[in-house]
Amino acid sequence: MTWLVWREYRAQGAIAFALLAAFAAVILVDGFAIASHWHSILLTCKGNSACLHQQQLLAIGLLSDLPYVSLIVPAIVGLLWGAPLVAHELESRTTDFAWAQSVTRTRWLVVKAGWLLLAAAACGGAVAALVTWWSGPSNAMQANAFGPVQFDAQGIVPVGYAVFAMALGIAAGTVARRTLPAIAVVLGGFIGLRLVISDFLRPHYIPAVTAYYKLTGSFTPPGQAWYLSQGAISKTGVVLPQGLGSLGLGNVLPASCQKLLPTGVLVKASSMNAVYSCMQAHGWRGFTAYQPGGRYWTFQGIETGIYVLLAAALIAVTFAIVRRRDA
Amino acid sequence: MSTAIETHDLSKRYGRVSALSECTVTVPEGAVCALVGPNGAGKTTLLRLLAGLARPTGGTACVLDGAPRQDPGFLAEIGFLAQEIPLYRRFTAEDHIQIGAHMNPRWDASLVRTRLAELRIPLDQRVGTLSGGQRAQVALALTLAKRPRLLLLDEPVAALDPLARRHFLATLTAAVAEAAGGLTVVLSSHLVIDLERVCDHLILLAASRVQLCGDIDTLLAQHKVLVGPRKDTAPIERTHEVVQTVTTARQSTLLVRLNGPVIDPAYQTEDVTFEELVLAYMGADEAAAGRHLTTVGEHS
Repeated sequence: MTWLVWREYRAQGAIAFALLAAFAAVILVDGFAIASHWHSILLTCKGNSACLHQQQLLAIGLLSDLPYVSLIVPAIVGLLWGAPLVAHELESRTTDFAWAQSVTRTRWLVVKAGWLLLAAAACGGAVAALVTWWSGPSNAMQANAFGPVQFDAQGIVPVGYAVFAMALGIAAGTVARRTLPAIAVVLGGFIGLRLVISDFLRPHYIPAVTAYYKLTGSFTPPGQAWYLSQGAISKTGVVLPQGLGSLGLGNVLPASCQKLLPTGVLVKASSMNAVYSCMQAHGWRGFTAYQPGGRYWTFQGIETGIYVLLAAALIAVTFAIVRRRDA
Repeated sequence: MSTAIETHDLSKRYGRVSALSECTVTVPEGAVCALVGPNGAGKTTLLRLLAGLARPTGGTACVLDGAPRQDPGFLAEIGFLAQEIPLYRRFTAEDHIQIGAHMNPRWDASLVRTRLAELRIPLDQRVGTLSGGQRAQVALALTLAKRPRLLLLDEPVAALDPLARRHFLATLTAAVAEAAGGLTVVLSSHLVIDLERVCDHLILLAASRVQLCGDIDTLLAQHKVLVGPRKDTAPIERTHEVVQTVTTARQSTLLVRLNGPVIDPAYQTEDVTFEELVLAYMGADEAAAGRHLTTVGEHS
C-alpha cells in the first residue's frame, strides 16, 4: 500500500521539497544577516533595554514579509493534496481498481491519509521552524511573538493548521465526491475557521489579566504581553476604549469634565490631562487587559490541540463514509 | 458441483429508483456465465453487489461461501473489472504490476508480463496513452494476476473493435482453461455472439428483474420455436409458456418454453438459437423501448 502512495505522490513530493528548500534558502540567508546585525546591536547596547528598543532590525521591504508566506502553506497542502485524495480517485474511478485489490478500504485509507497527514505536518513544521528561527531576534527585541500574525506563523500551531487543512480537504472530497467543490470548501472553511478562532476564541483560552491604574499614570505589564484592550472605565462600569480622543468621549463623561474637553480636531496631549484628572476625581480608572507572555506556549498548545481534534473528527467522518459508501 | 454464486431476493435501491429487484440466481463453480439485458437492467448493480463494492438494500448474496464483504481474504478471491476500465492513467503497466504485488497475497506478476508481451503492449508506457483495446487487455491481465476464484467482468469488450475483442476473449478463455474448473466467470455484454462463443451459463436481466437463469444447453433444450398457421394460441398457452409471438398475415412464429411435448400437428417445431432466446426474453421490455424510439423520432 505504501508503495502505491509513494508512486502516486513522488513527483508532487519532489516539487514540494524543492519549494521548501527554496524557501529555506531565502530564510537562512536573510536570517543569518539579521542574526549578525542583532549581535552587533547587542554589543552596542550592552544590555540597555531602552537602547535595544530604539534599534531597527535589518529586515527591509518584501523580505520582511516573506516569512509570512508560510501562512498559506497549510491551505495549499489541503487544496492540492487533501481535496483530491479520495475525490480524484472517485472521479477517475480508480477506486474500482484500488478497492478491488486484496486490501480493505479501511487499510487503503489508513495508509493513504496517514502518509499525507504526516506530510502535511512535516510541511507545516518545517516552515514554522524556519520562521521561528528567523524571528528570534525580532521576538527578543520587539517582544511581539504573541501578536496575531507572529503567533500564527511560529511555534507549533502551523503543524495543527496543516493537519487540519489536509483533513478538511480529504473529508470534503469524500463527501462531495469531486475535487473542485472540495477545494472551495477547503479555501472557505480553512480561512473562515482560522479567522473565527484567532479573533474570537484565542483571546479567551485563559481569562485575560486586567490591570487597573490611575488615569493620569501609565501601566507596563511585567515582561512580554499580548495586549487585548486598553482604556478607561467608570465606577458604574462604562468603558471608554483608548484612542478615541476628545471626539469619542461623548456625553458619558460627568458634566463638569465635559466642560474641560478641548475643542477642535487637533488635541494636544497636555490639554487632555485636565480631563483625565477630572475623570479620576469622579472615580474613573485606566485599565489594560492582556495575556502575559508566559502563556505563549500554553496558547500554542491549546490552539494546536483544537485544530488536531477537529482534524481527527473529520478523518473519523471520512472513514465512516469510505467504509459504508457504495463504490 | 458446488455453487460459486447464490443470491436470494437480492435487491438494490438508489433512493426511489430500483436498480435490482428480488434477484435470485445460482452460478455453479467453474461456469462461464453470460450476464445479458438491456441498458439499465441492473447488470452493473448485480456485479458490484457480488464484488462487495455496493451493499444490498434487500435479500442475501453468497459468493464463494460467504456474503460479499470488505475483508482481505474475500477480496483476494474476487477479480472485478469495471466497465470504465479503471487504471491510473499516468502510471505505466509496470507500475500497476508493482501496485498489485504490494496489495495482493498471491500475485502472478509474470502472468501479466507474459500476456502483455504476447500482445506487444509496452510495459513502460503510461496506460493513458495506450489504445482502448490495449488498456482493456492490461486491466484483464492485472485482474487475472490476482489469481481469483471468481472473475466479475462488466462489459469489458464494449469499447473494443472486433479484433481486440477476439484477443480479449481468447485471453479470458485461456485463463478459464488453465484454471481447470477453479475459475468462475460472470461476464456482462451486449454482444450476444461473443457470449455464445465463450459462455456456458446465462443470467438474463430485464427491467431490474431476473428473466432467465441457468445452463445454456439446458435452456436451449427447454425452448422451441413453433411455426404454424395463424390461429388462436390459447391451446398452446395452456400447457406451454409462450415467451414471444410474431405473427404475419399467414403464419405465427411462437417461442415457447416447453412443459412437455407439442401435440398440435399444425405446428412445425424448430430448435431455438442462443440469440433468438436472448432477444425473445429481452423483448419483455421491447414495447416500451419501441415507444421511446418513436417518440424520439417524432420530436426530431
